[in-house]
Parts: sequence; structure tokens; C-alpha cells
Amino acid sequence: MRTSRTLGMVMIAPAAIMIFLFYLMPVVLTAIFAMTNMSTATGISGGAWQVTASAVNRLKTTLPELANGIAEPRFVIDEDGLKELEALKLKPGFATELRAQHIGGVYPSRREAERDIKALKDRPNTREVKQISDIFNRSVLNTRFESRDALMTSLDKLGFKLTPEQQQIVSDATYTGWVWTSENFSTIANSPDMLQILINTGIYVAVTLTLFNVTYALFLAVTTHYMPSNTASVFRAIWLLPRITPVVIYILLWKWMTWDNGFISLFLAQFGVPPKNYLLDSAYNAWFFVILINGFIGASMGMLVFSSAIKAIPQTQFHASEVDGASRWQQIRYIILPQLRWPILFVTCYQTLSLLASFQEIHLSTRGGPGKSTEVWSLAAFHTALNNYTGNLEYGLGAAMALVLVVVGLVLSLIYLRVFRYDTLISKPLIED
Amino acid sequence: MSEKSKASANFSSIPVIALLGLLSLPLVVMYAYLILDTVTNSEPGSLVPNEFTLEHWKFLWETRSGKSSIWLVTLNTFIFTCCITGVILLVSSMAGYVLSRLNVPARGFFLAGVMVLHAFPSVTLIISIFIVLQYIGLYNSLIGVILVKAAIDMPLGIWLMKGFYDTVPWEIEMAGIVDGASRFTVWRRLVLPQIKPAIMALGLFSFLTGWSEFILPQVLAPGSQVQVLSVYLASLIADDNNFDFATFKAVGVFYVIPVLILYVFFQKHLMNIYGGGTKG
Repeated sequence: MRTSRTLGMVMIAPAAIMIFLFYLMPVVLTAIFAMTNMSTATGISGGAWQVTASAVNRLKTTLPELANGIAEPRFVIDEDGLKELEALKLKPGFATELRAQHIGGVYPSRREAERDIKALKDRPNTREVKQISDIFNRSVLNTRFESRDALMTSLDKLGFKLTPEQQQIVSDATYTGWVWTSENFSTIANSPDMLQILINTGIYVAVTLTLFNVTYALFLAVTTHYMPSNTASVFRAIWLLPRITPVVIYILLWKWMTWDNGFISLFLAQFGVPPKNYLLDSAYNAWFFVILINGFIGASMGMLVFSSAIKAIPQTQFHASEVDGASRWQQIRYIILPQLRWPILFVTCYQTLSLLASFQEIHLSTRGGPGKSTEVWSLAAFHTALNNYTGNLEYGLGAAMALVLVVVGLVLSLIYLRVFRYDTLISKPLIED
Repeated sequence: MSEKSKASANFSSIPVIALLGLLSLPLVVMYAYLILDTVTNSEPGSLVPNEFTLEHWKFLWETRSGKSSIWLVTLNTFIFTCCITGVILLVSSMAGYVLSRLNVPARGFFLAGVMVLHAFPSVTLIISIFIVLQYIGLYNSLIGVILVKAAIDMPLGIWLMKGFYDTVPWEIEMAGIVDGASRFTVWRRLVLPQIKPAIMALGLFSFLTGWSEFILPQVLAPGSQVQVLSVYLASLIADDNNFDFATFKAVGVFYVIPVLILYVFFQKHLMNIYGGGTKG
């Protein structure tokens, strides 16, 4: 007992570790990321505090006075600035007098600061006044602070006395890193774009599944069944090609088929039809080809499953029906279809999940276009989080969309496990050592 | 098979063949022109080739500026694919045996888990794996993307291996145990040789999916030093300045040849696995 158990644990460890690292952890992390507003702008590690123009705009609604104050330049006569002034080697009297008379002085605007500088005994000229006042400019605008405290201290030095609540508001508005939020989910629930994507996904899955993955696969299986076996295997080989071909080449072939310098355009040009890009010229055509592209891949799995199921039907049933004069249609209707009930259910379940998760083909062929008309859920998640034209990758929102898919996938596959009697698949070990 | 043609002797199969031939025409045309266009030129606006040429294959000896050499890319793809195949075979032949035969806690749960994982949308994993790899510094390296790809294909591998182990008779193992071998020796010396066809099939299958994989290397390792053929070809196609279907197709044929060779020679093995199902 002990040894086989230990051996089992050791032998399953690599699989368990890989599953933990590349399935469980990513799923947990997806859930975590979904609760943040992580994006390229916020970065993935922590952020900093920075009073940018947009942060000031955000502050204007809650703390208008403070926002205007921060946006203005501020002038403070402090020891750092005085040292810098001495280093400039202007008249030594400037620094001495400023230190004696105005140390600690805070001026809300350049004009007020320069009035005091002009009044110095050594009479600086206009250029010098400007030079000196620049040294004492202590505006926080666009300065990066590594910690919240550093920002608050320098605000305090500038003469902004803030209550803790106000400090919180300022810190929230100026933080550049990511924060926890549930906004992603409300975006998903409320945005009309998301509704459109959801409808697209529904159409895509339903149409591809019924037309190709089930109906056409069934058609292929039945027709090849009624053929001499050599011919049948040629057709099976042809229809397995889309699945076996690497996806990049497969899509390249379809582009050659549909683009304005491609096969359809060239062929129709012989009859005087002007060339156009059939893949992307209208939403209707784009959908037509997206479904064809995915359907051709999907048909092969059903074809193989149904073919082997038909092969398992006892030949005697066909012989008997032929003797009784059954037509082919009657054979299909009363012999084949009733015995394919389970394979059809299996393929339907399995391919629903596959179609929900598939996005490579659409990404490579139409990229969800024209516009966003062929954007489906998984593709939208991918585009939002990892690949879009604007360059701001919204990891948080993308993760939230992906999480929705995870939940749908989990629920569906748990239901399938029920339907297909999962417990009959495990057998008890016969050797108990 | 001869029995089957006798079974439908009442009917002619010609109409069905004609119909299916018509429906298969788009695929046949696409693949025929894939090969044809790489070695011929045709007049603009014409579909009939008028001269033989090898100019579309010059990517083999000329490296275009800003692109990596095709041979480096091919080597990368080869390493990538072989490592994936090795990892999948090793891990799933062990885990499959445990799930089929050994008594470990939570066996049923693990098996159900593997089945659920197989149905997982890979897009969910990509987003967070992308961020995790960036964190731990494996972003843009072959090792990272090899591990990820192997992990994503593993559930199917475990599931298949478990199925094959289930067909090995218990008597073989019992005989080994009676003769004093440990469970490990029994697995290594007696059971593994029994499922050679399964290892062959899974190895082939992993090689083919690894060779074809596009989205993982594209997202997780796009750098030119670690580029694989699929990413290379996609970047060629995406480059609007050098638009030339014939060259794309030549690269495509170069890329697809190993797949077609394996497909032609091992069709039987593959039909079994593809019937069992993959994603897409």
C-alpha cells in the first residue's frame, strides 16, 4: 500500500506542478487582475505619485481651490535654493539678504516672489530677478514622488494645509500605479460594445456549430460511409487538412482566396466583376468567411467521431434494410441517426467549448473587423489585454472578460461531466500492495 | 470494407462522390495553388501560370533586412517543438499511469480536474501567464513558452495515456509483482513497452501541435532571436510594404512540409487522436 502510494505521488508530481503553475496560478491571478485597473499606463508593479495635468483635472471636481493652487507655480525661499543661488556667483548680497529677511517665505505666484526679489538692496536687473525666482520655484506639478509621504511633505512645505481626508483624495488622484476596483465588471455589464460582442459570440458559436461542426460533419461521415473505401479515405484526408495545417498558413490560404488580388476576385474578373476584398468589404461577407474558416476546421472532428460510430453499427442492419428495399434516406433516418445520438451530443458539447475559446483564426483573418463586426468574446479579451492599436493594454479589463469565459467553461464542463457519467471512467486498482 | 460496398449495392455512389467532390473543391484549389504558386509566375490578373521560377524561394539563401535568418528561425522551431514533445511525453506517460493504475489520494478528483482543464479557454491563461512571465523574467525566452505550451497540451496527453494504460491487461503487472519486481520496474519494463503505439501517437501529435503553435510564441516570445516559423510567417504577412503572396506561400510550404510528411506517413495514428479531439 505504502510503496505504490509513494510511487504514485512521485510520478504524478511533475504533472501536478505544471498544472499548479500554468493552470491554477494563472486562473487565480486572472481573478486578482480582474479586480484591478492594471494597464500599460499603470504598469504591473507599483506606481508613484505624480501631479499631472490630468490629476489636477480630477481634483478640480472635489477640491477646486487646491487644484488651482497646485497647478500654479509656487515660490519658497528655503536653504536649498539659497545654496544654489550662492553657487551661481551673482552678487553675494542677494543670498545674504534673502536668508536674513525672507527665509521660509511662501509666495503663491511668481509676481509676488519677484516683487520681494526686486526690492533687494543690491538691485538685481530684470534678467537676474528671473534667474533667482526660477531657483525658488517649488511647484509640484509633474514632479515624481516615490512615496505618498514625500508628496504630502512637499505639499505641506508649499503651504497647503490638508486634512487627512483631503490628503487621501489628493493621493488617490495623483497615484499612477494600479488600484483595486470593481469597475471592470460594471463596464462589462453596462457597455453596449460588450453586448454587441456577446451577441456576436452567440451567433458565431451557434451557426458554426450547427452548420459545420455537427450537420456538415454528419454529412461527411454519412456520405463517406456510402463510398468505396479508397475514395472515402481520400475525402477524409482532404477534410482533415484544415485541422492539420498550421493556422498561419491556413489563414494565408483563405486570404489568397478572398482578397482583392486573390482567387475569387481574379476568377470573377473573367466575367467582368470588379475585384474587391471579399473578406473585409462588408460585415455580412466577413461573417460568411469567418464561419467558413472555422467550420472547415471544426467539421473534421465530428467527421472522425461520427465515422467511427457508424462503423460500429452492425453491418447486418444495413443488409436487412436493403433486402426490405429501404432507400438511403430511410437507412440514414432509421438506422444511422438514432445510433449517433451520443456521439452527436458529445461533439456538440465539446465543440461549444472549443468555439467559445477559439480566437486565433478570427484574429489572423479579419482581426475582428470590419469595424468590430466579427469581434467575439475571447478575441475581445485578447485584444483588450494584449494586442490593440491604441497601445494601452488594459490587463485588468481583459482579465475580467477572460474570467467570465473561465466561469462559463467551468460550469459547462461540470455539466458535461454529469451528462457523460464521469464516474464510470475511473476503475479501482486491482493490485493493492 | 468490401462488405460495406456490397451493403450499398442497391445504389450507385457516383452522385455522392460528385457532390462531395464539388464541396471539397475550394480546399483542393487552395492547396493546389499553395504548391503551384511557389514555383511559377503568372500574368497579372491571370490564374494560369506561364513560367517556371525559383525566385520565390530566395528567402532560403537571402536574409531580408530587419528579419532573422530563416535557418535560425527553423532551428528555434525545431528546438521548441522537440522540447515540447519530450516534456509532454515524459510527464503524461507518468501521470497517465498513476491515474490509470496506482492508488493515490484524490485520484478521481485529479482526473476530473484534468478533463475540465482540457476545456479551458487558453485566452484566460495567456493574459496572466504573460504577466507572470514578465515578472519572473522568462518573457521572450524559449524556455518560458515551451513550458507553457507543454502545460496547455498536457491534459489531453494525460487523458490519452490513461486511456491506453487502461487497455493493458492487469495480468502482465501481476506477473511482474509475483516475480518480485517493484511497481516502478513493472511500469518501466513491462507496461511501457505495451503502449509503444500510444507513445508514438502522442509524440506525433505533440510534435504537430508544437510545430503549428502560433499564439503562444507570438505573445510570450516575439523577439527576433527566439522567433519560430509561425511568428516569422505572420510577421511577413503583416508587413504591408512587401506584399507578395508567392513568397508567403513559399515560406508557408517550407513550414508545412514536415507536417505533410508526418501526416502522409502516420495518418492512421493521427486519425485516432484527432477523433479524440483537440481544441478549435
